[in-house]
Amino acid sequence: MSRRRAIWLVARREILERGRSRAFLVSLGLSVVIILAGIFIPGLIGGPDGGVRATTVGVVGTPPARFDENLAAAAAQSRMHVTLKPIADLATADASVNDDSLGAAIDFPAGGANPSLVVKDRGNPFIQVLSNAVVTSRAGAILESAGIDPAELAAAAAPPTVRELTPSDPNRDTAFLFANVGVILLFISIFTFGTWVLTGVVEEKQSRVVEVVLSTVAARDLLMGKVLGIGLLGLVQLVAMVTVGLGAGLATGRFTLPPTTGSALVQLFLWFGLGYAFYSTALGVLGALASRMEEASNASAPVSILASVAYIFALIVATDDPGGLPARIATFIPPVSPMVVPLRVALGAIEPWEIVGSIALMVASIWLLFVLGARVYSGAVLRTGAKIGLRDAWRQTRQ
Amino acid sequence: MLEIVDLAKRYGNVIALDGASFVARPGRLVGFLGPNGAGKTTTMRCVFGLATADRGRTLWNGMEIDRLARLRFGYMPEQRGLYQRMRVGDQLSYFAQHHGMTARDAAVATARWLERLGLADRAKSKLEELSHGNQQRVQLGAALVHDPELLVLDEPFSGLDPIGIATMSEILHERAAAGVGVLFSSHQLDLVEDICEDVVIIARGRIAAQGAIDELRAASERRHLDVEVEGAAGRWLDGLAGVTVLERKGDLARLLVGADVDLAGLLAAASSAGAVRRFSFQPPALSELFMEAVQP
Repeated sequence: MSRRRAIWLVARREILERGRSRAFLVSLGLSVVIILAGIFIPGLIGGPDGGVRATTVGVVGTPPARFDENLAAAAAQSRMHVTLKPIADLATADASVNDDSLGAAIDFPAGGANPSLVVKDRGNPFIQVLSNAVVTSRAGAILESAGIDPAELAAAAAPPTVRELTPSDPNRDTAFLFANVGVILLFISIFTFGTWVLTGVVEEKQSRVVEVVLSTVAARDLLMGKVLGIGLLGLVQLVAMVTVGLGAGLATGRFTLPPTTGSALVQLFLWFGLGYAFYSTALGVLGALASRMEEASNASAPVSILASVAYIFALIVATDDPGGLPARIATFIPPVSPMVVPLRVALGAIEPWEIVGSIALMVASIWLLFVLGARVYSGAVLRTGAKIGLRDAWRQTRQ
Repeated sequence: MLEIVDLAKRYGNVIALDGASFVARPGRLVGFLGPNGAGKTTTMRCVFGLATADRGRTLWNGMEIDRLARLRFGYMPEQRGLYQRMRVGDQLSYFAQHHGMTARDAAVATARWLERLGLADRAKSKLEELSHGNQQRVQLGAALVHDPELLVLDEPFSGLDPIGIATMSEILHERAAAGVGVLFSSHQLDLVEDICEDVVIIARGRIAAQGAIDELRAASERRHLDVEVEGAAGRWLDGLAGVTVLERKGDLARLLVGADVDLAGLLAAASSAGAVRRFSFQPPALSELFMEAVQP
């Protein structure tokens, strides 16, 4: 029997046994909820572009002539869209603004008295646009009645054109959202499934089944199969999260896909694979040093702390300045790069050679970790009793 | 044939094996005996590559044992263990496939062995749902499911109830009759004497005795002689040379004598003291050979 088949048998067992376990189904459900929350909660709270560029404004009474056109022109200049809706009386308008079914309301009293604008508070971004349209329309009505040519008037009422010298990127907010959610997804996925490898190794050791398995399977193949099988489950969960997130976001118009989407997705999956391989191997090896489940979290503490530091660094430092020196250095530190590189890619702030270099370094360090780790793993996994030191486990293999 | 040649292994300052050599022939039940810490488990682990010997070789049919050879072995470690939450049927099939069986063959073999072990209706149960005794049966099943050519079982009888012991002995006999080599360790010497043809006795990492039990007993220089002379109360023994009295109980005397003792002379001496009701001459039991072999 080939080593490849042995590795596949181990991986397959992990997929079948864990894939139908309650733990996996709960994790899958929870991750979908988290991703939906991550996409929609910022919108509900009202983020930078919280979806308020379009609104409906109630109109009480009769607006002056050409109010519609003037409003449309003023709104367009500010990249806003306003829909008008006739309202019977002021009381109804007040109530509708209060319960947010209207963004604002304008009361045009009969007899040409000064109109009033009803808003919930002065922070309403449409006050300026609405005011401009009201002023222009009322002034225009007076001028028109004084015999000024309506066409000339309309031309004079047109707002000035705007020329941007450094246009803001319409995709920036979405790219930022993708980058942040991507890092969170990576951290959750790498850590959830890395921890499964850790507990799986300890379980096998604690239940002593490992001795039966190792009578036919080489220790490094058992470790590799376990990492592989659990990693495939992690991939399934990641695909589910990404599909649900993108699907829901697009279906509800929460965002449109920025041009970096494709490469960001490729990098997300690639770095999940690399980051997971690194962290789960490290956790599996440390798991072999523990004898009981209670010792597992202690044994894995160094790796957990490292992963958390990498995650916090990515969220705070690299998000703030993705092209800065700290982020560029972190790109080439293997335990940190899985969270930094996808973020920089999603923000479009990375050079191709940096991506290639960081992947090469990461692959090399995974290989090194696996070769060294597998030796410690085989030295430790059959030893029971007290917790084993790294050095002991290393020597054990030679004895 | 399994050959262990000059096997040595040291754990730090502890010498586990110190040049042990023995053979286990196909079709024979071989009891592997020794006090705790004598090197039994280490020897078995070396056969399965779970421990690496410092010196010496493990051979199967004359060839160095490698991963491929081990696929045809079945192993039951001293520390029992299987996947608690895995279904019994899936579990046996998993181990069968690890021994090189195709999924289809593994399924057939699993069904056959579950039937044989009386667990056919538990195939879909998780292991943790089974009683302790039934879990032991599954453990044996994991060692047998791929029809190995060599069975190595570490303390297979420990923790079994009398029915479990009977089932285990029956299956081991059946496997040996099918030509399988069966090597198992045990501390239950009477049981080993009952069911084994051969024994290997290990002490302090070295082999103290090995061979067919009958031959070992016959080769011993000592014999047990039980003599019961009516009304004599053992007085006839006084002054007899070459006889050690182990025990006197009424008219019965238990004696230790040399294998070359003059039986006719002893019988004559006994007869002269009274009517001889019992005169039984036997080689020592396995437990005595064992104690003798492992004495420092």
